[in-house]
Amino acid sequence: MVDELIIKTTDLTKSYGPHVALDKLNLAVKKGATGLLGPNGAGKSTFLKTILGLIQATEGEGTVLGHDIRTEGDAIRARIGYMPEYDALNPDMDAIHQVRYSGELLGMNPTVALARAHESLQYVGIGEQRYRNIGSFSTGMKQATKLACALIHDPELIIADEPSNGLDAKAREYMIQTLTTTVRAGDRSVLMASHLMDDVERVCDNIVLLHKGKLAAQGAIADLKAIDREIEIHVWGGATKLAQAMEADGLKVRREGRVMRIAHDGEDTTTRILTCAAQTGAQVRRMHEYEASLEDLFLVIMENLGYEVKTSEDLLASPALARKVDAPAHMGGGGA
Amino acid sequence: MTEEEIPRDDTVEFGAEAPVTGQGRMEAAWGSSEGDEDLTATQIAEPVTTGHVFEQIYKPWKGTLNPRWMRNWAILRHHLLGIFKKGHRPWGMPTRLFILIVFIASLSDAALTLLSGLIGDGGLHQLWGISRDNLYGHVLGFFPRNVLYYPIVAALLVGSVISEDRQHGTSALYFSRPITRFDYVGMKFVSVALIQSFVVLLTLALYYFAEIIALGRGWAWIMDTFPLFLAAFLSGMVLIFTYTSIGLALSSVSKGKFFPGIGLLSIVLGTKVLAILVSTLFDREILYLLSPYDCMAHVGQTIIGTQPTYDQYSWTWSLASLVAMNGIALYTLSARVSSMEVTRE
Repeated sequence: MVDELIIKTTDLTKSYGPHVALDKLNLAVKKGATGLLGPNGAGKSTFLKTILGLIQATEGEGTVLGHDIRTEGDAIRARIGYMPEYDALNPDMDAIHQVRYSGELLGMNPTVALARAHESLQYVGIGEQRYRNIGSFSTGMKQATKLACALIHDPELIIADEPSNGLDAKAREYMIQTLTTTVRAGDRSVLMASHLMDDVERVCDNIVLLHKGKLAAQGAIADLKAIDREIEIHVWGGATKLAQAMEADGLKVRREGRVMRIAHDGEDTTTRILTCAAQTGAQVRRMHEYEASLEDLFLVIMENLGYEVKTSEDLLASPALARKVDAPAHMGGGGA
Repeated sequence: MTEEEIPRDDTVEFGAEAPVTGQGRMEAAWGSSEGDEDLTATQIAEPVTTGHVFEQIYKPWKGTLNPRWMRNWAILRHHLLGIFKKGHRPWGMPTRLFILIVFIASLSDAALTLLSGLIGDGGLHQLWGISRDNLYGHVLGFFPRNVLYYPIVAALLVGSVISEDRQHGTSALYFSRPITRFDYVGMKFVSVALIQSFVVLLTLALYYFAEIIALGRGWAWIMDTFPLFLAAFLSGMVLIFTYTSIGLALSSVSKGKFFPGIGLLSIVLGTKVLAILVSTLFDREILYLLSPYDCMAHVGQTIIGTQPTYDQYSWTWSLASLVAMNGIALYTLSARVSSMEVTRE
């Protein structure tokens, strides 16, 4: 059942003296892949520790896979697989025995744990290196070993804390693919905390965004992106006049050179843009719906919260730079 | 890449499945010939299928996880078996070698008892056979056992047992599983204590049984001496407990293995040396109460019934001091283990 809730919290609060780390958090995380986002100090680590049943909430309640986080921490930790962000492996052990030991710590029989360790390491792509000492592993191989430790008992929920952090392109791609396969083919749920928005967007269907211990946003990425719908146009000649005309018409325009993004303002937004273009004589050489990335969405939400974010120029510059393709460089365009 | 030209009757077409290299399209659009040639479709050879070397398949597991005792047994097994074989906790070779040497050296009294039995030398037996003093000496004798053997074994063992989990972040491996802090620290404690028992208590038992076997002791002798053996055994347990609790407390406040090891040796031997100096210079024995070894020796002498070395104060003061030392060490240990993190250290 897709809509089944794997994590649910009601007014979950955790205070450390006067500091409120989690402030009346009401979350409902569905089965599938969910990204846990938030700037440093947002409360992600506290949230993870709370749902693992490792620290007691000051107020409120919550369940993970139907178990109460206040009283059934052991049962929760037996049914989830946790992949920590930082090193959590003994460099003097070989991978196969490290993964086996992680299974034994869950209560698996040593023989069964060894068999599963072989399968898990094969699955994460380091089956051929399983007898090598972890101390000789690359960062990607260590991340894969940690994932194998988390997967050994085939948990219903995998909590992956920054799984692709510090990986090269190839290892990162493989990690993303492995998590995606785990969700899609394995029918397992993943809660993925990451700063790499692209990775979250590729693996997850939903996000939970925390900010200063509060819930800033939660829901399907596709739905949240709709909040930030824009139309991107590439203009040739009279761009400044067009921008002024659109702003005079009440449209919200973000511009970098000939590339402009106009916020959706009803069904007739396109017509109004073209009308302004006709009035100012500017050529609209390209017009399309701009699909915001999760990065954009994150920054927009942070900006709405009054958080320190990059300027709109910066917002435009990063993802849109590749789209400056409409004129050769000697004519003032992007050069493509 | 090979190319072949296939004559065609009508217009140039490219199938959707054809590889998009641009080469065919360039040929069609900008061909250098006059344009009178037969119309052809340039087809790039199909890439060779090499097959899959690795296919990622998620394999579910439908087994059942065993209860708490099995998880605790896993921790114990991991640490104990690591002394003997690969695939478990990787104890350093110097540690394993030193334990073997100490184990053999600790059997010297048993070997000499066997020898005295074999050659029938009463003098040798008088020196090395089972007696109150020799049983005390096997466990609590200062030189060489509590200078060169047991404190060093304890220091080598406790050095990294908890500190390595802070250093390598492996505490996350334990606490993200259904392992409680009590189980974690309890099993580590028992593991280290059992390895020391192998050296201290097993050799004590072998020494006692060597006398029975070598000299053919009967039930009467056993009835007479068994309480002494039990008293020595109990003293050995106190020794192991104290070294382990102090050592693990030091290990829990560190991220390396050097500081806890050296710290334990400094506490055990440093306080002893200080107490000797004060006792020699000022004829005051009170500082022995600060020395874990001297407190254990005082209590051990009382339990076993040998002549006490410390006569300026009652043995109960030593017992109280021992309880306080262990209490402080266990409190430090529990407080530090409680603060160990899963998310980051």
